[in-house]
Amino acid sequence: MNYLDCFRALARRRTDQVVVTSAGNSSQAWWAATHDSEASFYLDASMSLSTMFASGLALARPELKIWAFMGDGAFCMNPGMLMVERQMNLPNLTHFLVSNRVYGATSNALLPNVGSNDYPAIAHAMGLERVFEFRTLEALERDFATVMAANVAGHTFVVLEVEPFSDAEQKLEQPPFDGPELKYRFGRYIEARTDCDVFGYRL
Amino acid sequence: MNDKPSETSRRIADELAACGVRLVASLPDNWLTGVIDAVDRDDRFVHIPVNREESAIGLCSGAYMGAMGCAALMGASGFMTVIYAITKINYTYEIPLFLLLTLRGGVGDHHKHHASNSLYLRPVLDAINMPYQIIDDPGDISAISRCYRHTRTFSRPMAVVFTRDLLRGGRP
Repeated sequence: MNYLDCFRALARRRTDQVVVTSAGNSSQAWWAATHDSEASFYLDASMSLSTMFASGLALARPELKIWAFMGDGAFCMNPGMLMVERQMNLPNLTHFLVSNRVYGATSNALLPNVGSNDYPAIAHAMGLERVFEFRTLEALERDFATVMAANVAGHTFVVLEVEPFSDAEQKLEQPPFDGPELKYRFGRYIEARTDCDVFGYRL
Repeated sequence: MNDKPSETSRRIADELAACGVRLVASLPDNWLTGVIDAVDRDDRFVHIPVNREESAIGLCSGAYMGAMGCAALMGASGFMTVIYAITKINYTYEIPLFLLLTLRGGVGDHHKHHASNSLYLRPVLDAINMPYQIIDDPGDISAISRCYRHTRTFSRPMAVVFTRDLLRGGRP
């Protein structure tokens, strides 16, 4: 399915989820689909840490639902993250693995072992139980409610098979924030949503 | 000289709890096993053993954004693998991070394969302008709280670095 169409579909179904994106393409696509400047943390170029970041947030704030995006390029750098996610098994965390079979942020360079990587099988092998895979927009539109079912027992892992960005899509705007601005926008949003105290003082 | 490593581990855990640490992410180092065991058995903490040290950086950074106090516990070798994660996440976004490390390769280390840490751990900390406090004496464990507050005040990472004498006791 088309990467941007997939993200626009997810954005339409989003209710109150807090979002963490990964390097490059997922940040560009989520920004293009939402222009969200408060409830999304664009974790640029962390090289595999977006879902670990999201796991820390989900642990700290169980009252929030967290969506975390990660490209399969980042996933290949640190697949053992799924062991940690399975161990934590946080019911308020959904890990979206955006599989475009390339390093999208670096001009669609090829991934290792690209033809054989079976991400749902890897997740199952690490003990994850709520594993979903969507290869078409129609399937995503039809079955997404199942993924987001309330009161699930644990962590959810969703593989989205998408096409790599085209040359034109690679030129989509990056989220236009410097790091500290994003930290404070997002942190103040979390404080307002949960009445917690992220920064040690409230404005 | 410290002849009571288990007492030291308990005091380190108490100090972490006193300054509001709730999440502890860890990867082992032989010198740290007592501290990790103490944290793991202590209900004041959520202890998350992680697959690699970078994952601890991600976990703690996200937990901070959710207002949860946190610390990452790792050996010197593990720290040497996380420079990119720290500079990319914690420096770029100015997210505090509190690390507890081992002074591998320091005087008293029996393992010659830590020669690289002996040569480069402190120069690497200096190279990324990361403040650190070496703790060699049980009487200085209270510095943990001060260093933790330092990360919060300046929105930057800081490391406390434990010596073998502190964690394992004795000076053979």
